[in-house]
Amino acid sequence: MVLLNSNQARRNVVVLSGLIALAVMFSGPSAFALDQPVSEVVSAADLEFFEKHVRPLLVSKCYECHSASDVNGGLRLDSLHGLRRGGDSGAVIVAKQPDHSRLIEAVRYQNRDMQMPPDGRLADAQIAVLEKWVAMGAPHPVDSTRSSNGRAPTGMSVEEGRQFWSFRPVADPDVPSVSQADWVANPIDAFVLNRLEEAGLRPASRADRRTLIRRVTLDLIGLPLTINEVEAFVADTSDDAFAQLVDRLLASPQYGVRWGRHWLDVARYADSNGLDENLAFGNAWRYRDYVMQSFNDDKQFNLFVTEQLAGDLLPDSTLEARTATGFLVLGAKVLAEPDMEKLVMDTVDEQLDTVGKAFMGMTIGCSRCHDHKFDPLTQSDYYALAAIFKSTKTFSGGNTGAIKYWNEHSFATEAEKEQLKNIDAEIAAKNKAATAFANTARTNIRTEAESKAAEYLYAATRFNAAATLRDIEAIANEFNLHARILHHCRKHLEFNHNGFFHAWHRLHEAGENGQLRTYYTALISAAMSADKSSAKAATFTSQDIEAARAAVKDASGFLAVPPKADYAFDTETLLEYFRLQEEARLVESRAMDEPSVMTVGEEKILTSLPIHIRGSHTNLGEPVARNFPAVMRSESGTSLPEDQSGRLQLAQWLTSEQHPLTARVFVNRVWTWHFGKGLVGTTENFGRLGDRPSHPQLLDWLAREFMRSGWSVKHLHRLILNSSTWQMASTTSEATAAEAEAVDPENRLLWKFRLQRLSAEQIRDSLLQVSGRLDTSIGGKSVPLRNKQFVFNHTSEDHTKYDSLRRAAFLPVIRNNLYTFFEQFDFPDPTMPTGHRNTTTVAPQTLLMMNSELVMDSADAFARKLIDQSSDNTQRITFAYQAAFGRHPTDIETQQAMAFVALLKAESFTAAGLDANDEHRAWATFCHSLFASNEFIYVK
Amino acid sequence: MFDRQLQNRRQMLQTSAVGFGGLALNALLGGEAQAATKVEGPQAAKLPMLAARAKRIVFLFMKGGPSHVDTFDPKPLLTRDHGKPLPFDLPRVTFAKQGNLLKSPWKFKRFGESGLPVSELFPHVAQCVDDLCILRSVHGTNPAHGGALLKLHTGTDQFVRPSMGSWVVYGLGTENQNLPAFVTICPTLAHGGVNNWGSAFLPAYCQGTPIGNASLAASQATVKHIRNSRLSEDQQRRQLEFIGSLNQHHMESAGRNQALEGRLNSFELAFRMQATMPEVQDLSTESESTQRLYGIDDAVTEDFGRQCLLARRFLERDVRFVQVTHSDSEVQWDQHSNLYHGHTKNAAEVDKPIAGLLTDLKARGLLEDTLVLWGGEFGRTPTAQGNNGRDHNPHGFTMWMAGAGVKGGYAYGATDDYGYYSTVDRMHIHDLHATMLYLLGLNHERLTFQYAGRDFRLTDVAGNVAHDILV
Repeated sequence: MVLLNSNQARRNVVVLSGLIALAVMFSGPSAFALDQPVSEVVSAADLEFFEKHVRPLLVSKCYECHSASDVNGGLRLDSLHGLRRGGDSGAVIVAKQPDHSRLIEAVRYQNRDMQMPPDGRLADAQIAVLEKWVAMGAPHPVDSTRSSNGRAPTGMSVEEGRQFWSFRPVADPDVPSVSQADWVANPIDAFVLNRLEEAGLRPASRADRRTLIRRVTLDLIGLPLTINEVEAFVADTSDDAFAQLVDRLLASPQYGVRWGRHWLDVARYADSNGLDENLAFGNAWRYRDYVMQSFNDDKQFNLFVTEQLAGDLLPDSTLEARTATGFLVLGAKVLAEPDMEKLVMDTVDEQLDTVGKAFMGMTIGCSRCHDHKFDPLTQSDYYALAAIFKSTKTFSGGNTGAIKYWNEHSFATEAEKEQLKNIDAEIAAKNKAATAFANTARTNIRTEAESKAAEYLYAATRFNAAATLRDIEAIANEFNLHARILHHCRKHLEFNHNGFFHAWHRLHEAGENGQLRTYYTALISAAMSADKSSAKAATFTSQDIEAARAAVKDASGFLAVPPKADYAFDTETLLEYFRLQEEARLVESRAMDEPSVMTVGEEKILTSLPIHIRGSHTNLGEPVARNFPAVMRSESGTSLPEDQSGRLQLAQWLTSEQHPLTARVFVNRVWTWHFGKGLVGTTENFGRLGDRPSHPQLLDWLAREFMRSGWSVKHLHRLILNSSTWQMASTTSEATAAEAEAVDPENRLLWKFRLQRLSAEQIRDSLLQVSGRLDTSIGGKSVPLRNKQFVFNHTSEDHTKYDSLRRAAFLPVIRNNLYTFFEQFDFPDPTMPTGHRNTTTVAPQTLLMMNSELVMDSADAFARKLIDQSSDNTQRITFAYQAAFGRHPTDIETQQAMAFVALLKAESFTAAGLDANDEHRAWATFCHSLFASNEFIYVK
Repeated sequence: MFDRQLQNRRQMLQTSAVGFGGLALNALLGGEAQAATKVEGPQAAKLPMLAARAKRIVFLFMKGGPSHVDTFDPKPLLTRDHGKPLPFDLPRVTFAKQGNLLKSPWKFKRFGESGLPVSELFPHVAQCVDDLCILRSVHGTNPAHGGALLKLHTGTDQFVRPSMGSWVVYGLGTENQNLPAFVTICPTLAHGGVNNWGSAFLPAYCQGTPIGNASLAASQATVKHIRNSRLSEDQQRRQLEFIGSLNQHHMESAGRNQALEGRLNSFELAFRMQATMPEVQDLSTESESTQRLYGIDDAVTEDFGRQCLLARRFLERDVRFVQVTHSDSEVQWDQHSNLYHGHTKNAAEVDKPIAGLLTDLKARGLLEDTLVLWGGEFGRTPTAQGNNGRDHNPHGFTMWMAGAGVKGGYAYGATDDYGYYSTVDRMHIHDLHATMLYLLGLNHERLTFQYAGRDFRLTDVAGNVAHDILV
């Protein structure tokens, strides 16, 4: 088969993939790569030429990267076999055809994308040697031993892959029987207990009611409950009190805020592009709200998946379904990438990586450049899927300068469009006003400098080039000149000694500065005079006059005005300029966005896509037809419409009940979010390098049950939360713990509940809730920027504020500059899917908890609540413990708190003077301490 | 061996990246920010893989892309053929439209015993030329700023990956428990922002700590939340004691737990950092002559001078990786037009401070085991953009190193006759990273971290050490 693609044809390079093609194409000259014993055709003289001239060259210039020790590009040049085989990009030598041989093309350095050796072109004579050698038919001695082909072994064949646990069909296991049957509240417990009993372990006892209510409310809605709600639950001893509590929490709209946010981790949600050019995603919030609403509505998960991948292609596509496809557009993109083809393929890669990890727990992105090293995914599988996404429109085609825009779908009414025109015009006018102001100011400075040109030259004689700006300022003041221009003028003189400036250096060196002043005053006056035939002009040559005019008028010459506004303008002008700029920025930031959603569309449909050799769009290989990965293909085959990208069929394939991964991966996510660790620990990797499930049967049972329930997420919650497994205490007796730790130190078998640190959002929302400051309103835009506005341009000024009192899920998520509180408390990197957040403990977290305004302001408000609540110190402390920790303090704790407050009140609070009321400051510091303590940010 | 150590460390970090284990709480309660003792835990200083020539590194980053043909890579043919077309092809992709050849407005002179040429833009640095190892054949960043910054700082322009500083900290740990191991002074928030000093999937302790950002004057730059605005130090110490007792009660009911214990230690470290950082940042303790050496007495050089002096103070306290960024609220070194004025201004701002830093490091013996790296995210084209500017050029440009382990007064590699393409001893960004890691005693092929199904490296699957530049 001959591979000829447009890219290569453009370069007039013929690439041959195999021996047969060589024989056909080059039946005339005997091709080097023909599979025949070389010894028959190689003469002694030819061999000598190889050994004397060619081999030393290959050894010194090529072997470092292309030999047994290192096989870059899949190419080995240290054996006959390797030379014949070629590299990943195909044959490198066509015998007797130097002009058709990639090896020669590479060493000639003609093709910028393929230059070898990479650290510098060979000498012409060396290139000639290689050309001659190839022209001779590339004689080479036979390999003494047959070497391997140098390719790294691929991970798994498709057949092996089908036997790997995660690609096997989801089983429907029987619920095991257990001896401690009364512990089993539902089948989950049977699976868990079965494993524990096998290991000779016992589950921890049930957590107490206070622990349970704190645990479940933080889990389901992300907030602590009020004191009254806690006490009511503790007092309610009915059998179904907990189940009812779960139902109440699931019915709360705050549930969707918390659990929608979990999915947003997976969807790498953000309100700005990040990466190279950080533009605001002013409409991303519509996707965020769609996700939260979907969780509140208990939308069937299979539909949720389908809408996100192909909502625009559904038969009765709604705006909501279109909004869902924002999932595909939200990724971080290199918006200023000048190579559009690279940008498109990088974006496809980002989408494939996200889809693979989010729905299948597969690192598909690994097979962009080569077959997957560990999993049964080939490069063909990758490009078969990539064809679907390359047929999908992610960019709008619009741009501003180098920056390309992502695709959106507008649903603005005619009236809104009219209104937007006016708004755009207003923003343009404001920007223009600022620019015009600066231009005028600059022109004025320039004009004045020109009028004093000779004075600048004279003043420049008064200091040397190394003078500091402070010294120069003094001189500038004396002559009423602009210090920065004078500074530049002196530098300019340092760099320019000829023409107009020759006299300056000559006279200055001679100490004739007075004469210098007279000379330039006359010359410049003559040059700038309207009457060029005046008497003054007559004393200078026309050449001098012209040079003087050019020098004075040269915008970047000795009178150049500094480009930087701070340096050019006086304070008054600068402040006015900044005011105008800020006004324009604010008008833009606050302006209405065009009502639209981030969404994909259909692009020109590609039914196949060439393999990109080593991932490069400039090196195309064999085309592969659109398809799903072979290891997971259904037996009935894949059928994709010619007139659609195939995203809808991709979604249908993923949500088929036969798909081995989709349900497994999602129930594992839900389990992880409830327990702090998954049945499969690696939520984004169900491949060979991922963890094996701790409870494979339970995982499959949950996946089946989930599908049986109609993919209901709330059904999963009820099952899990009402299980004895989830309700275990996080501690056991020392003896039991020691015994269990000896068998299962990581608690993989679930003999107790896992102590969990709250997430960034839970900590921040708890601070606001406990102190009575939280605004629980849901939804709407929260990034304080207009769609496509720069978050950061060259200025590095951060205009994003995080002082909103709404839930953390409604704070802006700015890529490249996450809110500090998020960043420090392990909010995930919003450029890649995350199913399991880290919980690190680093000192900057402590600095935040000890010193940030957020925590201290909340403590102030909390203290005010305590003081209002009661005048009795014991009652205040009790109230504080109940509100912050959901429990009463012990006597010792009360005593210690009293002592602490008393100590603080006894001292004078002079620092900062924020609040003169010692009583309040003391209590605020006490409240602050509760917030900073471990109990506040960990849940048992 | 090393990989196994990393593996174990990785396991520990999954539950707790405390960073600083084994510190006694009573040191905190005693209130004395003690002198640095040996650091333990995952962040502990580690023996390098190879014989290390450098213990620490300072990167002087010139944002925007300084022009190599106007600074350290003179091109006589460019002067001769000024105004003519480039006699060979432009790259397949260029950032902007380019015209004919544009000669340098500056003259070059030879300096030092080595006689290496430096343009008149850098008269002070020129005096240090015998310490410079000028890399004239660097190439391989992206043609746009964002992509190029990311490529230079993280090795890739497509994904969020760990920054080079975080890899260094991951490989070598820290020697000072009171300070972060990686600081970046006044970094730009544009063009990759935090990603340029982030740790991505490496443990959190590896990330760089920003001191201010490019929108702030160096004199105003601080670490976030390093001070409490409402409590005095005494009061805060009492508060910490009280929190300590709260945490003790909690531990009794929550059981023994590594994360909870780790958090106790984090209070101690935070308090130490709070005490140490202001002391490091207080430049007033430096002598007047030192301040003058860095140009702090001159408004033109003051800002970058402060950054460089601050860098030296971090380096001498064994901070592993220090980045200093020359950036401002305008276009930095990005002279698409007005090359002459822009580069004159920029060079005037950095020349003296850089020379001051080199001189000072040398005088204190720190240059022996400190690697200095200078450069931008790309160079500029020898062809003109408009009538007086130059476009981005990632195909061949100059960076330089100085100090530990590299030849001084040495020029490595070359670009073509006009300075467009790197041609001799080509040094890709991956090669630069490999060489930098090698100097720090790290083998770039073995410094790996497993994430999302594969081992990642700073140098991806490429990178060669430029052995020719090593002493």
